[in-house]
Amino acid sequence: MELNEIIRECLGGRQEAWETLMNMYAKRVFNMAYQFCGSRQEAEDLTQEIFLKLYHSLAKFDFQRNFTAWLLALTKNYLIDEYRRTKWEKTQRDEFDERVLSQTSLVGPEESLDRGETRAIIWEGLNNLSTEMRMAVILRDLQGKSYDEMAEILGLPLGTVKSRVNRARLALAEVLKDKKGVLS
Amino acid sequence: MTCERFEELLSAHLEGELGPAEKLEMDAHAAACAACGRLLSLFRETHEALTGFPEVEPSPELMARLHAIPQKKAFFRPAFDFLLRPDLQPVFAALSVFFIALSFVFLMPQGNGIRKALDRQLHLGYGQVEKLYAKAGSVTDELGSLKNTVVDSFKTLTPAKDQGKKR
Repeated sequence: MELNEIIRECLGGRQEAWETLMNMYAKRVFNMAYQFCGSRQEAEDLTQEIFLKLYHSLAKFDFQRNFTAWLLALTKNYLIDEYRRTKWEKTQRDEFDERVLSQTSLVGPEESLDRGETRAIIWEGLNNLSTEMRMAVILRDLQGKSYDEMAEILGLPLGTVKSRVNRARLALAEVLKDKKGVLS
Repeated sequence: MTCERFEELLSAHLEGELGPAEKLEMDAHAAACAACGRLLSLFRETHEALTGFPEVEPSPELMARLHAIPQKKAFFRPAFDFLLRPDLQPVFAALSVFFIALSFVFLMPQGNGIRKALDRQLHLGYGQVEKLYAKAGSVTDELGSLKNTVVDSFKTLTPAKDQGKKR
């Protein structure tokens, strides 16, 4: 079934259509929330709130627009607003999950350990970024969005988006330099 | 190439967006400047770590909660849905302001003073209105007497004219 058709059926109150929409987007929104706030429990609550918001605003969706970009813009706005309201940057991010290491099995154990350590530092370092920079790097590197899609989601000119991503990566590279300097 | 320019172009370099000349220039700078060479390698490592984060599966409990959103909403809808209409928002805002003002008057210890001041202002206003009303009454009377004078003077003028015509 086409996406617009699914949305129309959701608006008509069909439960199956809503479940299809959830199955299509829940994982993406949950991961974006998790990467942004760093806490799994928090991300679950945020995801629920975001889909509640979607449920209320679905009637306002303009069918000429790209639904994915529209939903991710709604997610981005909600996450940043909630962050500013509750200031959860003061809280710790969840410890980086070591099981993730098993997914990089093509490299040797020593290299794998080093990569795991780097990922843990970067994961922690995301909290050092401003909301705008964090969102930019999440969309680009963790969600794999193109710069054009990002410009639509963030509502910014292409040049601004590119420079924001570059600055975010630079800030994380600095964190990595500092932490690795301390560790070595 | 300056170190600042090198930093600005790092993402473009990593994503293969640079032209051959600029790419060569960056590689030459990275080879010549130890700090920038180290930064390039850290930048690569950071990018690799970021793109390597795997996606996490949402829990079945969360999925169940998400699926249940329309049912929950449908349960509350008949009774409360009209309250969520956007055109009622100004009414709610006005009511909030009104109740906050009311709470200042009735709940605060200085409420007595506020009430007295309000009473005084109300009485003053009432007095002003009464004075204005009395003034308006006297003006009406004056206008009435003026009208009578004018009418009388016309009446006295008209017979004199008639007599002149007869002659």
